[in-house]
Amino acid sequence: MKPDRRHWLMVSPAQALLVLVLFVPALYVFWLSLTRSTYGKSPEWVGLANYATVLGDPYFWRALWNTAIVVNTIVFVEFALALGVAVLFAGWIPWRKWMIAMVLAPYAITEVVSVVIWKFMMDPYGGPITNALASLGLPPLDWSVEPSHGLALVIVLSVWHHLPFTFILLYTALLGIPRDLYEAAQVDGANAWKQFVRITIPLLVPAMLVALVFRYIFAFRIFSEVWLLTGGGPARTTEVLAVYLYRQAFRYADFGAGAATGWLMLLASLLMGAWYIHLMYKKMFRHDAT
Amino acid sequence: MTPPKPLLNPRLLKKWGIGMLRMLALAAVLLWSIYPIALIVSMSLRAPRDILSHGSLWGVSFTFQNYQNLWKRWPDFFTNLTNSLWVALLATALTLVVSFLAGYAYSRRSGKALTASAFFMIMVRLLPPIVLTLPLFPAVNWLHLNDTKFLLVVLYCSFFVSLGVWIMKAFIDQLPRELEESASMDGAGLWQTLRRIILPLSYAGLISTAVFVMVFAWNDFLFAFIFTTVDAKTAPLVISEMVGAIDGVDWGILFAAATLQLLPILAFVWMVQKYLIAGLTAGSVKG
Repeated sequence: MKPDRRHWLMVSPAQALLVLVLFVPALYVFWLSLTRSTYGKSPEWVGLANYATVLGDPYFWRALWNTAIVVNTIVFVEFALALGVAVLFAGWIPWRKWMIAMVLAPYAITEVVSVVIWKFMMDPYGGPITNALASLGLPPLDWSVEPSHGLALVIVLSVWHHLPFTFILLYTALLGIPRDLYEAAQVDGANAWKQFVRITIPLLVPAMLVALVFRYIFAFRIFSEVWLLTGGGPARTTEVLAVYLYRQAFRYADFGAGAATGWLMLLASLLMGAWYIHLMYKKMFRHDAT
Repeated sequence: MTPPKPLLNPRLLKKWGIGMLRMLALAAVLLWSIYPIALIVSMSLRAPRDILSHGSLWGVSFTFQNYQNLWKRWPDFFTNLTNSLWVALLATALTLVVSFLAGYAYSRRSGKALTASAFFMIMVRLLPPIVLTLPLFPAVNWLHLNDTKFLLVVLYCSFFVSLGVWIMKAFIDQLPRELEESASMDGAGLWQTLRRIILPLSYAGLISTAVFVMVFAWNDFLFAFIFTTVDAKTAPLVISEMVGAIDGVDWGILFAAATLQLLPILAFVWMVQKYLIAGLTAGSVKG
């Protein structure tokens, strides 16, 4: 059935918020990216100069590179772990509801507190994990000095924080696989590994796609973890795109370069999400037949 | 003659072995998920001198001294917690109203224009928040909304409206249309049908939506960091300031503040766990 005036009225508050708070500002960012402006100065048209500045800035490329490494590692490590935990939980587990509650817990924690706790556990002088590593004869993670260690800690933190999300998606999808498929396979003499590869994985593909792309899009925005842990330092070596943008815009007050970075960031994340959104849109909002 | 029976059945042994491995894996998962959180709470309850020396969760000292210190050194923290609460509650309420209405329309009607607006809704969800803070900053200053709870409420709601509508649509899709048809035969108007029939039946969807907004609004750092300075500061922002305090980090106070910030939301998430799971499933897979 076609919507009438009342239905448009029902949709309008949601759409109004999206247009005013997200869409118009996004267009304004684009215009800003073509101008030069700072605090208390009106914007002046400069064409593509900001893009040239940003693309010519080695710090931008470092941030892009760091983002690519961090995002890919986070998404795939998290995915592998979540799949393992989901398979574990699909079998027999004591006190299932409580166990799931425990696994979900990090979801409720703010990034700020998770940074605090991991910073503390990894403290080079007496943090519990540092001590545990030392008792195994391993060196401490020197995350405040060594850039790669800093980024590694960002990855651990982010995986810890978002594992519940990926886990729940995969776990509920696993529970949705009909039991009789496994019984039939058992009758045919397929062992556990074969069953996993031939039944579980193929039937899990849609949920896996959802989990991967959702996490890609969200991991791409990573800001707080990096900002609070290393601040992008030492010497801007651990910056990611969001941190680079923040620094350009709010610290160096170069709104044009910040906006250009924003638009480049947007392009990158849109490119990653594009085909998936297309699929989702086809699945979700096409029911014209009814 | 039959061969002698082995003392331990090898198949049984294998089963036990796998069972043991599974329990070990479970223990590792639990340690990973819950130890860091338990450590915060445990640390907040011990004497400051014991904080750096022990990674164990109990058996050290037990005192509320850190909480007293927090009260003395950061008296405003409790105002910030109240700010967080108000912002989270209002953002949730606003998102629920807006998403319920739109979710209903998207569930029951279709057509090119409506589909296009739904597509738009998903598209804008892709905009990274940090990119939008940049143009919003001057606009917010111009409107004198800087450092207000109202602004945070509107921002959090806007960023969760897409997900909310999506979840509400998925839940309302499951309600049979006959309900509304018979109601309209009885002469009930659209608003009446919505309020009397659809609203009470879609509480599960409303709770799922509420979990996501609530958790986000209570925990957000980015928007609070950029748009608040004094009055509207929320708890996570102040905790981040404690980390960066110039006179060095006082871990005891920090853990006390973190505990007060995390326990309410953790309790909430555990209470509505069922709906959180249902919402995640409806919001992404079911489509």
